[in-house]
Amino acid sequence: MTGAMRLTDGEHEKTMMYQVRTDEVCQARDILLKVYAALKQKGYNPINQIVGYLLSGDPAYITSHQSARNLVRKVERDELLEELVRKYVEEG
Amino acid sequence: MAKLIIRGGRPLRGRVRVGGRKNSAVAVLPATLLADGVSTLENLPSIDDVRVYADILGGLGCDVQIATAASGNGTITVNPAGFSPLAVPHDVTKRLRASYYLLGVLLARCGRAEVPLPGGCDIGLRPIDQHLKGFRALGADVVIEHGMVRATAPALAGASIYLDVVSVGATINIMLAATLAEGTTVIENAAKEPHVVDLANYLNAAGARVQGAGTDVIRIRGVERLNGCTHSIIPDEIEAATYMIAAAATRGDVLVENVIPKHLDPVVAKLHEAGADIEEEGDVLRLKMNGRPRAVNVKTLPYPGFPTDAQQPMTVLLSLAEGTSIVTESIWESRFKHVDELKRMGTSIRVEGRTAIIEGVERLTGAPVRATDLRAGAALVVAALAAEGETEITGIELVDRGYERVLEKLNGLGADVAREE
Repeated sequence: MTGAMRLTDGEHEKTMMYQVRTDEVCQARDILLKVYAALKQKGYNPINQIVGYLLSGDPAYITSHQSARNLVRKVERDELLEELVRKYVEEG
Repeated sequence: MAKLIIRGGRPLRGRVRVGGRKNSAVAVLPATLLADGVSTLENLPSIDDVRVYADILGGLGCDVQIATAASGNGTITVNPAGFSPLAVPHDVTKRLRASYYLLGVLLARCGRAEVPLPGGCDIGLRPIDQHLKGFRALGADVVIEHGMVRATAPALAGASIYLDVVSVGATINIMLAATLAEGTTVIENAAKEPHVVDLANYLNAAGARVQGAGTDVIRIRGVERLNGCTHSIIPDEIEAATYMIAAAATRGDVLVENVIPKHLDPVVAKLHEAGADIEEEGDVLRLKMNGRPRAVNVKTLPYPGFPTDAQQPMTVLLSLAEGTSIVTESIWESRFKHVDELKRMGTSIRVEGRTAIIEGVERLTGAPVRATDLRAGAALVVAALAAEGETEITGIELVDRGYERVLEKLNGLGADVAREE
């Protein structure tokens, strides 16, 4: 493998990592907001319910209204937590 | 006595929608007594245990209305405005174990409770010592006399309670009692079952402050009152597991709808080991089974382990497997009563204490059999669906306790099932 080829690979890796990260952040944020809205519409305390899900991993915390329960499982819990912590620190 | 007549040997094919979770419904229904306002519970299963609980609440002065939509989804509205703390009748409560949740509710609401010792399926001893330990820690005086549990407490106060064994019933009963107690209650070594979470969801929607349900530490900050609310009961994973196991036993292809797949992880893992193809899409699981199942070992455990309620139907599937399977029941001591009945259908199962050693056979044959408890009845239904010829299952009222519209759902999947009263 040539040095130029390695450099090209490296560029691709960097670019891809950046894009995936952005997508994940957007997806986690989008999902959190949609789940929050669905819980609120059904009369639950959205913060309580999302915290319960993050702590226990049990999707029973999330309403099936507007497919929120299916939606929340599209990202891992650690990704949701990462988004929450990042947002908190950035705005702090 | 009602019976099902099943002409077996037809692979189950098609879609089946799972109803609301029985064990959630019978915990949330008594909790509605804690609220000052009207509670509406959606996705309610149409099963006898729910009807019995509705009768109990009606007998205590609540206005109870049940409606069933064309889709089969049930909704119950409970208005406790006319509630009167009468003695809870023996004849109704001995029909279901979950009647003991009235202890926690009445203690919280009235400061005293008199409830007959619980009934339910005959699958082993049902000690309630951990429930009583919790009530006493909250400040109640509790005695058992003349077949009744009598508890009194002028005022309940929050406490730290360590459960000596993981008990779903005790966890729920303490949550119910502590909701209106003064101060904070912490339950350690709590049960993590999804219906513990579902009860917390209802209580919190009504204004309670319950945190940590679904983990082994639950914290309840007492509040002065609860309001009514609307809550949707989560899907019944045992009903879903039963249809999946039946599909596998008949070598069928079934889509089970309205499930929370995460709750079925242990069952799906074992069915996959046994050779089933299982796909997940949102709240739907599809199971396809080609050929004879493989032998696997199963041990029942508290959630998230393999559920004891799915053990008996699973035993049937494994009795048709190639090879020898070992099933260990670690929750209840008498949960192999269905085995004697299964032997009439040609199974080769030896029970030693809490372990069943299952030598797989190539086929089962129809026979007259009798359900001895709820899940044993479900296991016999699975066996009858897979067996050659006709099976007559008596005692089917026990199955009605926990499975809704069995006839309609099974025939919708291509089975040949009739019922005689």
